[in-house]
Amino acid sequence: MKPVNDLDYVEMYAEALKNDNRLFAQQKELIDSQMQASSSLFRNMFGEDFATEARMYLRKRGVLKPLGAE
Amino acid sequence: MSKGYETDGDAIVINRNLTMLDRFVKTFVDILQKHTDYLIVSGFVSIATGRTRGTEDVDVLVMALEKDTFSCLFTDLEKHGFWCYQGNTAGEVYPYVEHLQNVRFAKTGEMFPNVELIPITKDRKAKFFEFTHPQKMRVQDFTFKIPPIEFEILYKELVLGGKKDIEDARHLRVFFSDMLSDEKFKEYEPIIMSERV
Repeated sequence: MKPVNDLDYVEMYAEALKNDNRLFAQQKELIDSQMQASSSLFRNMFGEDFATEARMYLRKRGVLKPLGAE
Repeated sequence: MSKGYETDGDAIVINRNLTMLDRFVKTFVDILQKHTDYLIVSGFVSIATGRTRGTEDVDVLVMALEKDTFSCLFTDLEKHGFWCYQGNTAGEVYPYVEHLQNVRFAKTGEMFPNVELIPITKDRKAKFFEFTHPQKMRVQDFTFKIPPIEFEILYKELVLGGKKDIEDARHLRVFFSDMLSDEKFKEYEPIIMSERV
């Protein structure tokens, strides 16, 4: 199968992964590096009062909704 | 080289090493299950089975908790280095749970990933069904509960329906193609459709 769109790639990768668990190593690298990058970004972005500053940021992003808003 | 997964009794075993995301979720679930039952749903299920994509939150269903149970859970999480987006004390956060609003916990000094605790009741028929019909999954020494794979696929296709969800569903359909059951798809579809109404 020649991949044409994103779903084709998802399908090809899942088929390969089903038969060869060595491909999980790539996935682990990606996930671990994303977590390390995210951790470093937010530790540098916020100061000592991490939770207070983080909540302000989350409110601006619309992630933190007030009570009764959902 | 091994297959991507195998079954061991009633558990699906994914043949891979733990990621940092798995370790985060394991730490949380180890604490959570001391206080209440749970079900991990959505993105983490796909990622745990090999979808190569990032995620900021891990969705975890719990039955709506009583105040005392939530307070004990909150204290335990705090003791083990978690902070809550919604507030610094159980008293501040419990009203969200009482109103069936989601609350999020991350490791202290970290923003992502976070666990999004989703309180449910028996009135949420589809969610209650998956909660009460868990599938065990294991990665190394981490065993956790997810919905039946067929249920997870249909929920992503019929209820969520975004590009990411459709890709997750396709991944699950192909990766687990050897074990999926048409009967289960037929059984679950009307239950899931009730969530759309």
